[in-house]
Amino acid sequence: MLIGIDVGGTTTDAVLIRNGEVYSTAKVSTEHGNLLNSLLEALDAISRDVDPEQLERIVFSTTVITNLIAEGKTDRVALVLIPGPGVNPASYTFPDSFYLKGAMDYRGREIDPLDEAEIRKTVRLIQEYGFSRAAIISKFGQRNPSHELRIEEIFREVYPGCKLELGHKVSGKLNFPRRIATAMLASATREHYQEFVEKIRQALEERNIRAPVYIMKADGGTLPVEKSIECPVETIFSGPAASTIGALALTPEGQTSVVVDIGGTTTDLALILSGKPLLASKGAKLGDFLTHVRAFAVRSIAIGGDSVVRVKDSDTDAKLITVGPDRAGPAYCMGGKETTPTDALKFLGLIEVGNPKRASEAIKITASELGKSETETASLIVEKVSRMIADAVNEMFLEWEQEPAYRVWEVLQEKKARPENVFGIGGGAKGLIAEIAKKLGAKPVIPEYAEVGNAIGAAVARPTLTLNLHIDTEQKIYSVAEEGEIVSLNTTNIGNLNKIHLDEAENLATKLMRARARDFGIAEYAGEAEIVDSEVFNVVNGWYTSGRLFDVNMQIPAGLIPEWKRREKA
Amino acid sequence: MKLGLGKLRDVLKTGSGASPEEEKKKQAEGKDKAEKEEILKIENEEIKPETSEVNKMELKKTGLEPKEGPLSPADRTGVEKTGLIFFPAFDWAISPTHPEREERLLYTRDQIFEEGLMDLPEIAEYKPRLAEYRDIARVHFCVPDVKAQATTPHLIAAGSCLVLGDALMKAEVKNAFALIRPPGHHSMTVAHGNRGFCNINNEAILVEYLRKKYGIRKIAIVDTDVHHGDGTQEIFYNDPDVLFISFHQDGRTLYPGTGFINELGGPKALGRTINIPLPPGTPDEGILYVLDSLVLPILKDFKPELVLNSAGQDNHYTDPLANMRFSAQGYAKLNEKLSPDMAVLEGGYAIQSALPYVNTGIILAMAGLDYSCVREPDFKPGMFVQGAKDRKTLEEIVAAQLENWKNRDRLVEAEVAKHGDFYRRKKQIFYDTDMIQEFQEETIRMCPDCQGYKTIDSHAHRGVDDTRIFGVSIPIYACENCQAEAREEYRKRLIHPEYEYVYLQDKKQDEYRTYNIRTKRETVY
Repeated sequence: MLIGIDVGGTTTDAVLIRNGEVYSTAKVSTEHGNLLNSLLEALDAISRDVDPEQLERIVFSTTVITNLIAEGKTDRVALVLIPGPGVNPASYTFPDSFYLKGAMDYRGREIDPLDEAEIRKTVRLIQEYGFSRAAIISKFGQRNPSHELRIEEIFREVYPGCKLELGHKVSGKLNFPRRIATAMLASATREHYQEFVEKIRQALEERNIRAPVYIMKADGGTLPVEKSIECPVETIFSGPAASTIGALALTPEGQTSVVVDIGGTTTDLALILSGKPLLASKGAKLGDFLTHVRAFAVRSIAIGGDSVVRVKDSDTDAKLITVGPDRAGPAYCMGGKETTPTDALKFLGLIEVGNPKRASEAIKITASELGKSETETASLIVEKVSRMIADAVNEMFLEWEQEPAYRVWEVLQEKKARPENVFGIGGGAKGLIAEIAKKLGAKPVIPEYAEVGNAIGAAVARPTLTLNLHIDTEQKIYSVAEEGEIVSLNTTNIGNLNKIHLDEAENLATKLMRARARDFGIAEYAGEAEIVDSEVFNVVNGWYTSGRLFDVNMQIPAGLIPEWKRREKA
Repeated sequence: MKLGLGKLRDVLKTGSGASPEEEKKKQAEGKDKAEKEEILKIENEEIKPETSEVNKMELKKTGLEPKEGPLSPADRTGVEKTGLIFFPAFDWAISPTHPEREERLLYTRDQIFEEGLMDLPEIAEYKPRLAEYRDIARVHFCVPDVKAQATTPHLIAAGSCLVLGDALMKAEVKNAFALIRPPGHHSMTVAHGNRGFCNINNEAILVEYLRKKYGIRKIAIVDTDVHHGDGTQEIFYNDPDVLFISFHQDGRTLYPGTGFINELGGPKALGRTINIPLPPGTPDEGILYVLDSLVLPILKDFKPELVLNSAGQDNHYTDPLANMRFSAQGYAKLNEKLSPDMAVLEGGYAIQSALPYVNTGIILAMAGLDYSCVREPDFKPGMFVQGAKDRKTLEEIVAAQLENWKNRDRLVEAEVAKHGDFYRRKKQIFYDTDMIQEFQEETIRMCPDCQGYKTIDSHAHRGVDDTRIFGVSIPIYACENCQAEAREEYRKRLIHPEYEYVYLQDKKQDEYRTYNIRTKRETVY
């Protein structure tokens, strides 16, 4: 039996899956100050009549990290930065930054050496200021981490108690500012997160639950909870990721769908293209910071069931309806003060919840301001909201089509897709999905269990894993971006380094991926690994080829575990 | 030359690259002409006013609502973003060890991505697209056809410029940088093959596209590549509306061996071509001096609607193919001072030691950001000093060119008086990459009402292969007499067996034809 739990902003949803089908569901309201309580409450509700021995897997998604960051409850981190030449670091907006001399170039060759005296002085200063943790990030540190490593040594010597985060271990991708932000946030949240995981472990022990526990990541994959401590920031936005995987589980295989999650204040959109959830081309934005965290492309628009409906004068004297972007408490029919889309839906009989009399009252007020009949007014509100959401969906597809391309074949590849299904989840979905789907020329889908689609997604998501291998045969080294070690090519069984072929590079990547999957305790999914792209460049000095650079990117993509019996549950 | 209806249909069918609407329209035209039966088939169509159907169709194809006449450029005041297309063509090379190869912009990618430049709120990254064949045919006589000279990577490089040109005209961005390859500034009107790593001229294609689509007229192109921008110069040599300024390493010491101060433009455009040959070894100081004392004052005086920069990066002190001493700081400063509406990458082959830093500097400068920390690993301020003798040479060149600029209208008057109805010149052009020797005779109609149409009789020797072509080019702002006369020139050449291909480039009507004498087939772009 599988359990999926999604700790959301307002409710915590849980689902129990037995023999590949939903067996029971539960919903409890989320207690803001204590997410752990909510999680356990939902767990107890769903597993009440189940023998703990029968549980095979528990997966949860949580907003713990998102909340920590949003509420500013993270720890202070001293940022030790080695920017080298380029953008003026004075333009960065990171807090608590200490800049050091030294520089690497794009191939990891040292441009400027470190200044040891300066480092010692800075470390002492960091200690004096009372920082208990520091993140050390150098530009091109992923191509050569020796500066970061040397500074780490000096920290250990001068300020041994300081907790350290190294940029190249956090992400091997290009983008120094994002690496700074990601390392900073990882360091700032790790301890809180660790406590949270520890409490879960204890709670499960008390309940005699010995099933492996996983946590959802922003890219829709699961990660063994003990491994997740290494990369806490990857668990942000796991809610929308869980919803998207849920949609994937509840729609026919291989189709293109848009997942529309209509909440009270906002509507979240995600895309599934030919059965594959679309990843954001760059990492997620966390608070004010752009990061390297791999995440689904999720677009959030400020419109929901509780958005305020207003009547405004237009340039042409005619009066217009506007919706949002603000929310002033619940809908009028739910005891609120303002007319909202929910009132319009209730008035038109499209939803069950809410007080019909109050809905009529709300619409009546708006209708008189607008100078139209009540039915007309309610329809106009629904029309307006569906139009705004449908437009945002179209924009999202357009944005995907217009993603930059750096190779001839990428430009030639015609990116064109429109949704076959509009998959509705969330409270406001029911009355609106049909109208949105009509505007998009797609089929509306509100599946059974839509209200716990996020929890289903958590329950049936499989692990994801990435591996970016970089080989420089001139320098006879390779590195795996995710792991940060620079390894000599002589340790591989590649014979002639000068004649290394792309398939040998890909074989090496596959081998490393298998080891990495084993290390993450997900060896059984190593077979799902695929090569996303690989490229090879000659290094030419003068008129001769003196070496080659290879880049091989592999991933175990987001998907469903084989236990889930997929069927059209619409 | 008479063609029956059947033949005409064949001709129409070969119209490659034409959209269905175009095809339909041509069919309709075909029917029209068929009714007139025995009349000459390849004939001048009625001269249509500028807001012809053709024009409307072009606008429709680019996804904009058809309007009467061209669109007009939007007001860019208050716009804050810099448009950027980074198209490194990682899967294309002239040959594996050629300087123009896959990884030319690899380290530039590493640097600008690591710097996080694409994340800056001041930068808007755009996706490249393919230019259409007619965009190429608007500038070039491609031998034998557009497809042969403009391969897919060329179409993408040119198309990238057009995407950014549109963004600029629609005021989505305040300026733009096309960080693209392959380059184009050595390509001339006639394209028999690859010259100086170039097949088609990206800037010229952009200029003619913007003029057609947005109705702008006066444009300045400042070529800062170390090599003389001989292709761009040749294409606009007789166009008084295009000011072409090139500074480059002295042609006596570097390919293509042209770009001297006496190359001032055709009779009616004298003074609108300005060359500044720089002594080898000129550092930042010298180049910025030329910019301040010559280029900027002339630009101010010319008042162009648009300033384009052919931004070659091979003036750099580490470039393997040239001998100058320009630095990344120098390039950024140059860009800041010149502040072009759009910069297009040309050459630059110090792919590790220069390009990553120069491009970072240029992007920051265009976006109005601080570039003071951009420097090459081995750069020390003050490492290159301008020699006194070279400084004097530069002062003399600047003085001479300022004098030419001041007297340009008088120069034109005197020169025009020397010629009758036509001005002819003979040229020899060498294609270094493809080893082609070309002989040309260019004829300009000395029209009192417009800049006059141009014909080119070109004979190319490529080993034992000889190709002779004849091309007729009608400027976009040509008078109706010139247009009619030029079309007649084209028609007359269609029965001349000494040519293999005959070209009509009617920019006024936006119509481009290639006629294959041997197969008797006409292609319309």
